[in-house]
Amino acid sequence: MRGERQLLRVGEYLVSRASKQLPRKARQERYREWAAELPAILHDPLIRFAPRRAIRMLAYAADTFRGTALTHVTSRRRWLELAATAAAGIVVIVALGGAISSLWSIAQSPTQPLNYLQLIWSLLLGAYAVSLRVRPTARVTVLLIIGVNLMGVVVSLWTGAENHGDWVNYLWAAALIFGLLVWWPLNRWVHTRRGNAAHKRT
Amino acid sequence: MTGPLERVLGAFLTDPAAPRYGYDLMSAARLPSGTLYPLLARLERQKLVASAWEVPERDGQRPRKYYRLTGEGIRVARLELAQSSARSHRAPARPGRPARGDL
Repeated sequence: MRGERQLLRVGEYLVSRASKQLPRKARQERYREWAAELPAILHDPLIRFAPRRAIRMLAYAADTFRGTALTHVTSRRRWLELAATAAAGIVVIVALGGAISSLWSIAQSPTQPLNYLQLIWSLLLGAYAVSLRVRPTARVTVLLIIGVNLMGVVVSLWTGAENHGDWVNYLWAAALIFGLLVWWPLNRWVHTRRGNAAHKRT
Repeated sequence: MTGPLERVLGAFLTDPAAPRYGYDLMSAARLPSGTLYPLLARLERQKLVASAWEVPERDGQRPRKYYRLTGEGIRVARLELAQSSARSHRAPARPGRPARGDL
């Protein structure tokens, strides 16, 4: 068949790209397996016309690439999940640390209301991180993030009022309010879009 | 059980003892390679399918990998296909147009 070598080269290129998306230990074997099928398809005695055999061989290589690309996306998503779980774990640890520190401060000066606010803030933050992992789409998660932000604003303003001239607290409060104002409509928009998509599917 | 899995198991069961190549299975199950190979990898992980490399008959020929159902694989495949067939028989027929005079 004319151009057989070039066709095989294209097919081999595609299956080598496909195998590169797999874990390192499986690559070599999968490449050998897929590349060995290419000449067999190109010489398939059951398909009479050579151009049809060539198209079938290229389709085989291209679809193998598609299959591994999908697997690759899945493994990447798994990594993202793992990273999100690790981040949530860190937030929970930080929140618990904050709660313990607030409890210590309350024990030292029980009449100081700011310590109680900081304790509530830390607990809300921890609850938010847990809720995000357990039920990310639940209404309680949304309420927790609003609660965390508002409590953060209150704590920052209170601390700012106690330490006159420390403008970082006011800046922190402004950033939290700004974050909430950006996040809230964005969240509503995403929620509405998902709802519309689900409605279209049914 | 998904449709592609059903077709692959059906293709294997036409001759359970015969080794099957990837391309051969693709043709028998009428599945594209991108669907077939992940399925085969999953079945192999579950020890329902075993694979081996063929020794090439001629010099310069590339060795090919062939698959066959394990003993457990044959048992599971037969069971799954029987259950799937029973389910499809049990499923109620789709309501068609009512006969004249029914309304």
